[in-house]
Amino acid sequence: MILQEMANSASQWSRADGPEAEIVFSCRVRLARNLEGFTFPPWAHDSVLKDVSDKVLNAVKRSHYLKNSRLIKMSELSSTERRFLLERHLISPEFSSGGPHRFLITEKREMISLMVNEEDHLRLQSILSGLQLMDAWRLTDKIDDELEQNLDYAFLPQWGYLTSCPTNTGTGMRASCMLHLPALAVTHKIDELMKNISKLGLVARGLYGEGTKSQGDFFQISNQVTLGSREEEVVDHVESVTRQVVGQEKKARDILLRRDGIQLRDQMGRAYGTLVSAYLLRSEEAISLLSKLRLGVSLNLFPQLNVQVLNELFFMITPAQLQVKEGKEMAPLDRDELRAKVIRQRLGELK
Amino acid sequence: MIGKKKTIIVPKKKMICQVCGEREATFHFQEMTNGQVKELHLCEICAQKKGLGQTFFMPSFSLSDLMAGLTELEVPLSEEASVTCSHCGLSYGDIKRKGKIGCGLCYQELEEYLTPLLERIQGKVRHSGKVPKKGKVEDQKERRIYELRKELEILVRKEEYERAAKLRDEIRRLEREK
Repeated sequence: MILQEMANSASQWSRADGPEAEIVFSCRVRLARNLEGFTFPPWAHDSVLKDVSDKVLNAVKRSHYLKNSRLIKMSELSSTERRFLLERHLISPEFSSGGPHRFLITEKREMISLMVNEEDHLRLQSILSGLQLMDAWRLTDKIDDELEQNLDYAFLPQWGYLTSCPTNTGTGMRASCMLHLPALAVTHKIDELMKNISKLGLVARGLYGEGTKSQGDFFQISNQVTLGSREEEVVDHVESVTRQVVGQEKKARDILLRRDGIQLRDQMGRAYGTLVSAYLLRSEEAISLLSKLRLGVSLNLFPQLNVQVLNELFFMITPAQLQVKEGKEMAPLDRDELRAKVIRQRLGELK
Repeated sequence: MIGKKKTIIVPKKKMICQVCGEREATFHFQEMTNGQVKELHLCEICAQKKGLGQTFFMPSFSLSDLMAGLTELEVPLSEEASVTCSHCGLSYGDIKRKGKIGCGLCYQELEEYLTPLLERIQGKVRHSGKVPKKGKVEDQKERRIYELRKELEILVRKEEYERAAKLRDEIRRLEREK
């Protein structure tokens, strides 16, 4: 029921109202925290997980930011429903496998969410539209302070916040930006860019993880290490590198328009043509066409459309999203039909 | 440790899906079954059928997955298996196999083993970020320094250098006392 309600709208951060939102789809800060005196979730017995979730949920009730949030018990969800939350970036792949005493707390706009008993006892995250990573950090920082009033975190001065995985020890913070880079992808500048980014101590990856091809020309940039630097320094660094990438993408778009204007227009027109007239669309195809159209919209080639509409469509057409909204499990072919219909209708309204 | 464990791997070249034999494989796993290593390369569609696939908007694999992959392949030495944490009962051998630390106390009781691991991943550095507000007495000084550093940053941004200099001296004094 809660999920169906969520499925009726896209998350707030897809609204494209943040700075540079045409290129920076979203930015995210997440913190890993554990409670002192309790075994970390990967090794903990059910009874420990239960004690931890009781304590955390109690702290959540007292949190000004989280008290009116949705509380979702992972063990009560079907696999499609868990996948739905994954597609909305509210839970991790690990969390989507379900398990006892695991909870997701998400505030109505889905900007703030908290996983309880993921790999760490708490995984708190904020996602905002566009490039406002420092704001995302400040928000997460405040909620973290608030939760801490009622929780004792595992911490040592030398190692910082103690986490289940040594890759998170210290700040427990991962700061990332999700970027739409179609022009850099088309001009084959992406590989070089990725290499340079890793030289700067950051990680760049496609949406499907390291070493895999990104779909829809979406890429993520995030910090690699969590020990030794202050949170603000890390956020600053990720933000400034992202800003440089944004600059390069803009430049690539300009060049593309000037050099291959007509080919570009043709490709985007074709993408639009397919999207408004297809009756069956596979997920992959839809994403690749929407990505082309999104670039066209950013370049003002489709004045009747805006980036927000495109962002929402990316949200609406994922397999689990379609099924949760329909309230039933669907075969792939039925999903392809519904996906095409959703896109056709939405773009049709805006002719 | 007996049982199956899937690890994400990064292939060196393009692979074709092992199930359908048609599409390009985009999901690459290494499956460990009782010490036997088997590689799996699947396309998105076949991976989905197996319940492994991911769809658009999925956060990418975490570093920790890769970490687990790295440490898993090393064989624990007998010494690493004999020292255990008094809270969770785990040895460094256990931790290495799973790539996950057992509890907060492991960081102190298994420090000898965890320090090189942490240094390999994070570099030879000390935490300099946020400190819990209400931690133990010894952490409170750290919190104070953390807060003063934040204030310092604001003063510098406002170009109030005189006050910033005073604050910097105060921070240095507190740091010396540690």
